[in-house]
Amino acid sequence: MPHSASPPPAAPHPHNSLTRIGWRRLRRDRVGFAALCIVGAYLLLALAAWSGLLASHWQDEVAHPYAPPTLFAGTAPHHLELSAADIDAADRRATSAAAQDGSGATGLSADEDPLAADLAAAEQQSAQYRGAEQARADSLPLGADQRGRDVLQKLLQGSATSLQVGIAGALLALAIGTVLGALSGYFGGLLDDALMWGYSVFTSVPDMLLLLAFAAVSGRGIGTVVLVMAFTSWTGTFRLMRAEFIKHKGRDYVRAADAIGAGHGRRMFHHILPNVGHLLLVQFSMLTVALIKYEAILSFLGFGVGVTQVSWGAMLAEAPAELLQGYWWQMLAVTLCMSLLVTAFSLLADSLRDALDPKVK
Amino acid sequence: MLAYIVRRVWQMVPTLFGVMLLLFVLFNWVGGDPSYILAGKNLSAEALAGIRQQLGLDLPLPQQFLIFVKQVLTLDFGTSWSTQQPVSTLLHSRIGPSLLLTGSILLLGTVLAIGIAALVAYLRGSLTDRLVTLIATCAMSVSALVYIIAGQYWLAFKGGWFPIMGWSDSTLDNLLHYLPLPLLLGVIVGLAPDIRFYRSCFVEELGHDYVRTARAKGLSEPVIMLKHVLRNAMIPVVTSLMMSLPYLMMGAMLLETFFGIPGMGKEVVMAVERSDFPVIKAITIYIALATMLFNLLTDIIYKLIDPRVQLH
Amino acid sequence: MNPHALLATLAALALLPAQAADMNKVLRVALNAPETGFDPAKVSDLYSSTVTENIFDPLVTYDYLARPAKLIPNTVSALPAISADGKVYTFRLKPGIYFAADPAFKGKKRELTAADYAYSIKRHLDPAIHSPWSFLVDGRFVGGNELVKAAGKGALNYDAPLDGIRVLDKYTLQLTLTETNFNFLPILAMPAFGAVAREVIEANRDNTNAHPVGTGPYLLKEWKPGSRIVLEANPGFRKLVFNATPGNDPVDKAVVQALQGKTLPQVGRIEISVIEEEQPLWLSFLNRQLDISGIPQVALQNALVIDPKNPLKVRLAEQYARQGIQLQRQLLPEITFHFFNMQDPVVGGDSKDRIALRRAIAMSFPVSEAIAGIRRGQAVPMNYIVPAGVAGHNPAFRGAPKYDPAAANALLDRFGYRIGSDGYRTRPDGKPLSIELACGTSSTDKQWNEYWQKTFDTLKIRLGFRQGKWNELSKANHQGKLQMWGMAWGADYPDGENFMQLLYGKNAGDSNAADFKNADYDRLFEASLKLPHGPARNKLYDAMNKIAVAQQPWIFGDIRMRSTLAHRHVKGLKLHPLLGTSWRYLDLQK
Repeated sequence: MPHSASPPPAAPHPHNSLTRIGWRRLRRDRVGFAALCIVGAYLLLALAAWSGLLASHWQDEVAHPYAPPTLFAGTAPHHLELSAADIDAADRRATSAAAQDGSGATGLSADEDPLAADLAAAEQQSAQYRGAEQARADSLPLGADQRGRDVLQKLLQGSATSLQVGIAGALLALAIGTVLGALSGYFGGLLDDALMWGYSVFTSVPDMLLLLAFAAVSGRGIGTVVLVMAFTSWTGTFRLMRAEFIKHKGRDYVRAADAIGAGHGRRMFHHILPNVGHLLLVQFSMLTVALIKYEAILSFLGFGVGVTQVSWGAMLAEAPAELLQGYWWQMLAVTLCMSLLVTAFSLLADSLRDALDPKVK
Repeated sequence: MLAYIVRRVWQMVPTLFGVMLLLFVLFNWVGGDPSYILAGKNLSAEALAGIRQQLGLDLPLPQQFLIFVKQVLTLDFGTSWSTQQPVSTLLHSRIGPSLLLTGSILLLGTVLAIGIAALVAYLRGSLTDRLVTLIATCAMSVSALVYIIAGQYWLAFKGGWFPIMGWSDSTLDNLLHYLPLPLLLGVIVGLAPDIRFYRSCFVEELGHDYVRTARAKGLSEPVIMLKHVLRNAMIPVVTSLMMSLPYLMMGAMLLETFFGIPGMGKEVVMAVERSDFPVIKAITIYIALATMLFNLLTDIIYKLIDPRVQLH
Repeated sequence: MNPHALLATLAALALLPAQAADMNKVLRVALNAPETGFDPAKVSDLYSSTVTENIFDPLVTYDYLARPAKLIPNTVSALPAISADGKVYTFRLKPGIYFAADPAFKGKKRELTAADYAYSIKRHLDPAIHSPWSFLVDGRFVGGNELVKAAGKGALNYDAPLDGIRVLDKYTLQLTLTETNFNFLPILAMPAFGAVAREVIEANRDNTNAHPVGTGPYLLKEWKPGSRIVLEANPGFRKLVFNATPGNDPVDKAVVQALQGKTLPQVGRIEISVIEEEQPLWLSFLNRQLDISGIPQVALQNALVIDPKNPLKVRLAEQYARQGIQLQRQLLPEITFHFFNMQDPVVGGDSKDRIALRRAIAMSFPVSEAIAGIRRGQAVPMNYIVPAGVAGHNPAFRGAPKYDPAAANALLDRFGYRIGSDGYRTRPDGKPLSIELACGTSSTDKQWNEYWQKTFDTLKIRLGFRQGKWNELSKANHQGKLQMWGMAWGADYPDGENFMQLLYGKNAGDSNAADFKNADYDRLFEASLKLPHGPARNKLYDAMNKIAVAQQPWIFGDIRMRSTLAHRHVKGLKLHPLLGTSWRYLDLQK
């Protein structure tokens, strides 16, 4: 996990004006603003895909396996498409040839099969289930994968999944780290000792080990990936929030709140938390980036999303096999797509940090 | 100082205990049952029961935990469940390749990263700085997987400049033949984030008052950079380095898998796959101990570098 | 020269072990998955047995060139005498075979005796060792069960007399079986029944896996578990000269031309790497860092020119043929299938509606499409429980149902699996229907899962996946928690019994993973045990297959065609269906 460089301490400005100042600064920073727009675009696309407006039929096998991208149709390596019919025909030839010179039984006869009559009847009534074979495209804008599925659609759906996983994981890690860090920093004493003990235990165990162990317990799928990543990434936020809460709890405004009778909970989450909110925002964007990249590796190791879902990691997992056969388009598409988002997010995180830093003029 | 060290060592005990508890809960609740792997095709109830007894899995949990405690105290984790080799022999043979790989990546990567970061920090705000930062950010966004897969395919196979994979017993042979490509890829993967991190450390340092004072005194920029800024920025650099040392032992898991380097990282994945509890216990305990020791070492070095730092 | 001295010199020369193996000839091969260890009584995985096969000698082995596989003497002077009732096997060992040197022998040359084989076989019965092969010897020898019972939970008493395994004299071993069995001999050809020396086992009690000492052509020189194994030619190996007359097979002719008259083994050193990822393994072979390799599925289209009309007809791609790379292919004596838990309340049982459910799923699984897509056509659909190359196979039998998802849907309609308002079928009693398929986590598993998803989507049945590692799933299956899972079974010995026992009621909870219990099948199986391979037994096998096809506890899968590539300089290679490796028969001519 990247160790977050400790951000500069924030002076206790009231909630509103720092945000307004920050927003103004962000608008002026051209790179940061562009990054914000890109991230926003991705989020919109992801929302559309997740809600089913876009790419809901990504699983349909609309093209021939490994159909190349339209612009590069000529350069694709030759792919021999074998059909089930050919396999069946070869199999049938072999068994009938053997039947001719053998004396053994050739299969289950009608009177030996308990379902014979029902099968015959079913055959009669099967017309309603026979659909027409759909034509398969020879090339698609971004090409097709091994099953003939559209890479573009997979990319859109995959973005939704990866973003979902990254953001959910980051939010959960943030929530755990913030609550625990707040409790630890604010109350101190035995609670602090206990939570610090937990912190040191978790940071002593290597991430990979923790990850593999957790993944092994809760099965596979999106839920597990989110949980697993949250449980291994809360420590950075914890340390940050603890330090902040320790610093803030002695400040005047908190003591003032105490004087007017605000309880601990109110003091922690109504007064202090908004003052450290900007740090959380930066932390959130960094965590999201890290978790999106982590998801790719998890999927590669086999812990990622299941068959009915697609994510960037799942698409990358198909890359080594494809590259070996000379099919480069899926890997390139995913790499560029992921790269653009992660770069934008990172730049956004940088700009946010600069924008919300009260020391910078 | 001595009292501080003693106190810190004493504080390691509960942490170690916590790690042991975490491991134990995780693998006795979570980990697969290894008796099924060891039984092969013979899955009769007696065979499985026998294997479990041999591995000590039929003892009540608290008793198993006590055995675990004893093992940690003597640093003898018994034999691997899957290969029946003593775990310590196994790990000792794995540590060498891992250290060589990750050590050289750390060394080369840090030198390069600090050099480039210092340069761009010096040139901060200029086009070069912005360009390098942008390139670094883009490079960081590409998954390590892509670098390794593409690197192995194009540089080793298509280009023929490096062997595809492998490792030998002679260190010299490794340095000359088998290390270069994984080293190169490992450095590339880590370079971008390191450059960004070190650059931010240097930039932060350059914002401090003493730098303005030094400039006002008439010192030239290069002297300021080399004599003052670098030394002061060393603290976060050293921290970051020290914190990553225990992870050196883990080995770079992906690199080891793709390049067939018999190191700790690959061993961990195999052990988790086979529910080989003794190996996993051993590796985790060693790394937990190493982390705690290096933490302590870092704090001590802090104090030596910067006398203002108060250890409490 | 003094005639006595001459005689003595000649005698001495004749006694010298024939060390023809050239240490400069180094064979480089790779294993796809890590090995476990090298104690023949403790390991059962394919990868470990490639090594134990070359270190230890079983009593009998297979002729290298003869097909179908033919048993020939290995350390015995001739195939054993079998009594008329098929119960007593008598073996006579060749004198003058020695174990490789080991400190446990205290500097003396250690000869192989019948007692060593008695000891090695008894180890598989020993409860303290938990041999994964004990199912092959349990209850097989007269007095064996009593000896095992007497041992209780402790070690077997190896010195107690046992009627079923008797050492008649230094070189004579007699095995007496409890029941007639004409198919027992191939079991003794397995590497698991190679001879070990008692002193070595006892000296290395804690770690027999790392100290294999045998009479075979190679010994273990170096071992980095999970990473690298190095074998070197055993200097004390007996003189073995290759002698065969080839038939018309061009591969046989090439082998004979390369090896005729030479002492084996020729290759002095074998370096085995463990490479689990496919891309590095394939690239290593192409880069000449490996001498022999299989073809990973992703490279099949690149390496082979496949005839679309007959996908099993292939030739090596031009770019590789030009380099002189050799291709050999062999249909593996294995089966792959998916099974239903026959005790499951939803999918199990023998009532017609359940059979219909299973049949419908079997009719909707696109085996041929999967073979085309995943195997690139390099497999055949499974049609019979006993595969080709194993005694008892019936090549004319078509056991898999015809692929017809439309008819399958209509069939389900008939039995009351109505389609609900959510588009998914319910059970005949109206309760919701959903089926869980257990599977592994590798990328190949993922590919297969996509075909399963398609199967169940076509049938409009809800499908869930339960992913896990093999050992977790195995445990869950034993506890009856799985509904469907896939399995593969490779021949331990070339007899149909090894396969038909997979559905035998008494093996439920063990190798009968589906927990299939059918009285007719069991009766036929027990009768088949008493017959040797032949038309009478084949009739019984056909009847059993018909029961299996009718009841549908299994969905037949496919059988892979194994392709092996070797570089030009590797001579003497011929793929054998039962011998895991041919390393001792190879020569490298660079």
